[in-house]
Amino acid sequence: MKRSIWRDFTIGIIEENPLFTLVIGLCSALAVSSKVENAIFMGVAASFVMVASNILVSVIRKMVPNQIRIPIFIVVIASFVTIVDLTMKAFFLAGYEALGVWIPLIVVNCMILGRAEAFAYKHGVIRSIADGLGKGLGYTLVIFIMAIIRELGGTGQIVAFENTIISLRGFQPPQILQSFPGAFFTFGILMGLLQKLQRKGE
Amino acid sequence: MERLFLIFLAAFLINNILLIKFIGLCPFFGVSSRFETSIGMSMAVIFVMTLSSVACWGAWNFLLDPLGVGDFLYIPAFILIIASLVQFVEMVIRKVSPALFKAMGIYLPLITTNCAVLAAATESVKPGFWKLSLEYNYGLGEALVYTIGIAMGFSMVIIMFAAMRERIEIAPIPRSFKGLPIAFIAAGLSSLAFLGFKGLFGI
Repeated sequence: MKRSIWRDFTIGIIEENPLFTLVIGLCSALAVSSKVENAIFMGVAASFVMVASNILVSVIRKMVPNQIRIPIFIVVIASFVTIVDLTMKAFFLAGYEALGVWIPLIVVNCMILGRAEAFAYKHGVIRSIADGLGKGLGYTLVIFIMAIIRELGGTGQIVAFENTIISLRGFQPPQILQSFPGAFFTFGILMGLLQKLQRKGE
Repeated sequence: MERLFLIFLAAFLINNILLIKFIGLCPFFGVSSRFETSIGMSMAVIFVMTLSSVACWGAWNFLLDPLGVGDFLYIPAFILIIASLVQFVEMVIRKVSPALFKAMGIYLPLITTNCAVLAAATESVKPGFWKLSLEYNYGLGEALVYTIGIAMGFSMVIIMFAAMRERIEIAPIPRSFKGLPIAFIAAGLSSLAFLGFKGLFGI
């Protein structure tokens, strides 16, 4: 049975969402989701690296010897991450400084290597692009939702790109949502709710 | 001596890599469901992390920095060093202990993409990403102590957490939260406890 290209794309958004069901690529997701702005930057950066590395891995897949494939994939990914790293430093300095260590750490985001290994290494270019886009979108969507919950709940307002988008009045924000434990709580509760919904659907 | 101890403590407890810095979470949740695999994983991480930090320190101080290419080549260089080291460890474990190799399964190649290893290497070579309030210079001895602190912190939390998860398995919890969701909430509570170490000894 052959899946269509559209299916390759959509499956990454909910059914095989990299964060909720495959549970990979967590570190960056939890860390950057304290602000909506950072979540958008990170989502775009990670999706770009994912699509680009999926394309290149899929193109060279017939030439890569099986034993040393992982170092080769890593070098491919590292080159794209360096591109992102230097581009962001040049054009979006504020975003670059806010994300800090997380940009170089995209290299070791298991989500990207996992897709190169599990999908792009075995499939053609077009399907790999679809897979990369779908998984990237699924990842971005989740950190975006988490960032909305954490920023709105933790600070009482959402400030993105120097505009205040929403501001709640008369609300004492629980700061814990902004700090590290809050990320774990938010993610755990979202994941539990998703499982509950899926069970209902069956 | 006192300084080294402070560096160790800062890496081990106060800036614990898993619960405070959110680095290395994928293997954390992946292998912590069983006590034995978590011990195997943490041994592998201590070993790889220490070796790779020393190797990256050498590469940075003798090669990348003197040549002036460090800023745009450090990511590929460090990750290559780590990837080859991991492949080496994988071969050794496969030879020495097939049982352990079987138990670790998919996670051993994934040490390569264990962000903790790259983060520890980067951090011990060019500190500043984590904004540690301790002044820190670039000597090999201090980098080594710092890395070992990070690795031990990782191991301690992963083993402790595996024990907690084995207990959670038999606890009565809502069905939707069984497995990973409750693990995240438990991790959040542990992280809350670790926040209490902040400011210890003024670090």
